[in-house]
Amino acid sequence: MESFLRTFSDQTINGLVIGNIYAFIAVGLALIFGVGNLINFAHGSVFMVGAYVGWICMTWWNLPLAVAFVVVALVCALVGMAIERFALYPLRGAPPIAPLLATIGVSFMIDQAVQLLFSRNPHAFPNPLIEHRFQVGGVTVSAIDLLIAGVGVATALTLYAFLRFTRWGWALRATAQDREAALQMGVNVNAVNRMTFAIAAALGGIAGLLVGMYFNTVYPTMSFQATFKGFAAVVLGGLGNVPGAVLGGLLLGLIESYGVAIFGATYRNLFAFVILIAVLVWRPNGLFSLRPRVAQEPLTGTFIAKGRPVPTPKWLIATLIGVAFVLPILVPNPYLLQILTNAWLLGMVALSVTLVTGTAGQTSLGQAGFMAIGAYASALLVLRLGWPFELSMIAAAFISAILGTLLVFPAFRLRAAYIAIATLAIGEIVNQVILNWEGLTQGAMGIAGLPPPSLLGWQMIRPHEIYYFSLALLCLAALVQWRLVRSPLGRTWRSLREDEIAAQAFGVNLNRYKTLAFGVAAWIAGLSGAVTGHMYTYISHETFTNTTSILALTMVILGGMGNLLGAIVGAVTLTALPEVFRGLADYRYLVYGLTLLLVIRFRPQGLLGTD
Amino acid sequence: MRAHLQQHRLLIALFILIALMGLAGCALPVQPVGQATGGASADASQNVEPIYIGVSGPLTGPNARYGEQWIKGFDLALEEINGAGGVHGRPLAYIFEDSQSDPKQSVVVAQKFVADPRIIVELGDFASPASMAASPIYQRGGLVQFGFTNSHPDFTKGGGEYTWSNSVTQAQAAPALAEYTVVDLGLDRLAVFYLNTDWGKSTFDLYARRAEELGATIVAAEAYLPEEKDFRSALTRARDANPNGLVLISYQADGALIAQQIKQAGLDVPIVGAGSLQSPDFLKLGGDAVEGVYIQGQFLPTDPRPHVKNVVDRYVAKYNETPDFFAIHAYDTMKLIAQAIELGGPTREGVLKGLYQLKDVPSVIYEKANFDPETRRVVNPQFVNLQVVNGEFVLWDGVKPEKK
Repeated sequence: MESFLRTFSDQTINGLVIGNIYAFIAVGLALIFGVGNLINFAHGSVFMVGAYVGWICMTWWNLPLAVAFVVVALVCALVGMAIERFALYPLRGAPPIAPLLATIGVSFMIDQAVQLLFSRNPHAFPNPLIEHRFQVGGVTVSAIDLLIAGVGVATALTLYAFLRFTRWGWALRATAQDREAALQMGVNVNAVNRMTFAIAAALGGIAGLLVGMYFNTVYPTMSFQATFKGFAAVVLGGLGNVPGAVLGGLLLGLIESYGVAIFGATYRNLFAFVILIAVLVWRPNGLFSLRPRVAQEPLTGTFIAKGRPVPTPKWLIATLIGVAFVLPILVPNPYLLQILTNAWLLGMVALSVTLVTGTAGQTSLGQAGFMAIGAYASALLVLRLGWPFELSMIAAAFISAILGTLLVFPAFRLRAAYIAIATLAIGEIVNQVILNWEGLTQGAMGIAGLPPPSLLGWQMIRPHEIYYFSLALLCLAALVQWRLVRSPLGRTWRSLREDEIAAQAFGVNLNRYKTLAFGVAAWIAGLSGAVTGHMYTYISHETFTNTTSILALTMVILGGMGNLLGAIVGAVTLTALPEVFRGLADYRYLVYGLTLLLVIRFRPQGLLGTD
Repeated sequence: MRAHLQQHRLLIALFILIALMGLAGCALPVQPVGQATGGASADASQNVEPIYIGVSGPLTGPNARYGEQWIKGFDLALEEINGAGGVHGRPLAYIFEDSQSDPKQSVVVAQKFVADPRIIVELGDFASPASMAASPIYQRGGLVQFGFTNSHPDFTKGGGEYTWSNSVTQAQAAPALAEYTVVDLGLDRLAVFYLNTDWGKSTFDLYARRAEELGATIVAAEAYLPEEKDFRSALTRARDANPNGLVLISYQADGALIAQQIKQAGLDVPIVGAGSLQSPDFLKLGGDAVEGVYIQGQFLPTDPRPHVKNVVDRYVAKYNETPDFFAIHAYDTMKLIAQAIELGGPTREGVLKGLYQLKDVPSVIYEKANFDPETRRVVNPQFVNLQVVNGEFVLWDGVKPEKK
């Protein structure tokens, strides 16, 4: 019993300390979401910058800890303001999804710049505090635990006082409540925006410094996980809800800590994200929202219809398809064909995203999960049950459609950014289940020896064969989807996107149509996953990660929401760009990020416009 | 007017896209990275076309640091090879294509190498999903894929006779580590932390089997994800199982983190680690916390035997740092490939023929490497038992740790 109590209290301390750090990240994300209605993918990068600035202060300049905190906060606030000024301010008035892509571009640039400046290797971050452990009523805590807790409480109180008692704080809250009304009352909402970014970035930076000290390491890839956990904490607490974000962070830390204590470290993310989905089902506004908030405008939807799509006459599309089909004959270069094969397979995924996100208005960041389901389903059917590839590929698409829809079903009540984060969590859950369900999936070992795709005994192993196969599948998927979105069904989907409440008032059964949208999307993505898996011949839980999901959404935003040709153009562009930039070696992803940023700057509705 | 403005902006966006692509395109005629290090011999044989080796590996993205180590090892090896006149009178050079160790990119790189007639052999990729997705392309293209970080048991099976590796498999390394832990160090109640990747998982399974055969008990087994940073909860769990030794099947950064957090979790037992921990980074990141850690490695930088010392001395002189396992493996591999080309001739078929003829290849890691032509892997690899003393890896002194 005593040992149980000791374990329990130790795990509680572990959870609270890590939760405190999540809270720091979450508060920044919540502020930015509240004021700017924006999911900020660059937040983790600012967090990483904070860790590096702290590391420079402490190990290069030997500054005292208190000074390091101030320097980190100031530098990160400047970085935050710069992001707002140069990446987001020019996009005010653009469709709300455009800034999201800008933040993805910025995060690529910052991450890559830090790698180039400070090398790719992690650096040791010596803990300046005396490694002393205190016994407080049977619980052991260390100096760094107390520091994190102290900084957390102090920051929370300062932030509370700021929001509650200062004019700037009022302006911030007013802007968060209703931007237009605040503007009419004379609030300089642009200045408020910039201030919000400064505060959020400073908090993120301090979190980075604390994490660096806590784990005694800084490394350039620490950003993505931080963003990811921050999102989860924000959703737990309720989007745009600052006290909720603090509690969400602490709760996430505790859940993870107890989860690890009971099930083991490999279940950390699985456990946390299953709870996240559960919370979303029962309390879609977050655990700590007492009253439902004013309904947010959907992240896609209402504001999307700025500008028409670039007209694409039928002859142009026919010519493009014709060119794609004769290309292997004219340019039989396997390198080029492989790039385009990847583009066709990812183009199918982009089509599926543009269906749910562009047409039906449900921002999805979980498409790689559907690909993984498709790939594993087909692999297992072929290798365990001896099915031929033709059958297993079709079956895999249906399995992906069914499982995928079932997984997303709990999130149907959610809207706007919630559904984006819920689908991100679902993608992660799929990968974690694959990793941990060893009996079925062979866990971390992955599945090797998948036969290449084949059709009626004809094995597609040469580059142009798989090229034609994937191109044909892409054309087929695009054709079916084009028929669907032009049908009454497509109109109903668009009505969901424009205004769910109005659609409901007209008798549209929301769940049924969302099921259809996600079902078709998961079918297409699962088919693409199955073909991709057989092309690779080896798949593991690391083959289809959430970076692929983010890539697919990026393609769709770049090409133009809901625009079928746009999705394919986006897929070709973003598959080709890293290859074209190969000559730039280390600077490749820096330029890639810059390209995303500039293209969306001048073409916020996407290259081919929204449809 | 607005429509006009929109068109205008579409043009700007397209212009940016095309301008940037064009800019990059100018830089495209690939600069062979390794050629620059050719040194004196490159001058002497200026008119001779180098022999090209393709390298597919991570230079950006989460695994970029391993690619950075590879380059150091390759460049040192090329300096020696080209300094001595190259191979068949031609300098050796490599073209490193960044794949981020992502299968989407490694298959593209594979097609690129296969289509490039200058490339006669390929090295890499880093992690299994990227490497094994590319294997069939190399096999079909008749280009040898030589993976030197690929311990996945199926790696050399997937690509047929064109897939080779000088990386030890878990089937070789894991039982040896178990013998070090249980027999040599006398630890028998073990808490094992392992990376939940194909490498970590299969190492753990084989390790646990051998350790239990030797009479030890695995009292706690904790799998963790590669991006895990917070081990306090899992360590608390392990502590409650009351082990007398902690075993780390980890990489350098996560291994150092666990070692640092172990004392904070109130667990004070000897730590035994897999060879992957043997790196200056492990010492740098771990600081005092990794003092006394037992490691079973494949080479020791301070090993006085000439086949190790000569190379390490040159490496330190060139880079002013101690080489880690990945850099030395890259060095060994480049030397080995040079010999295979020497034996079989500077063609794709020649490399394959040369690999089958290799015998007693000088190697920092194996001293003399020999391949099993069936599995296309190194036979009878040797291991060395090490310990961290005063912030350095030294040979284990043979004294068993006190049991707590």
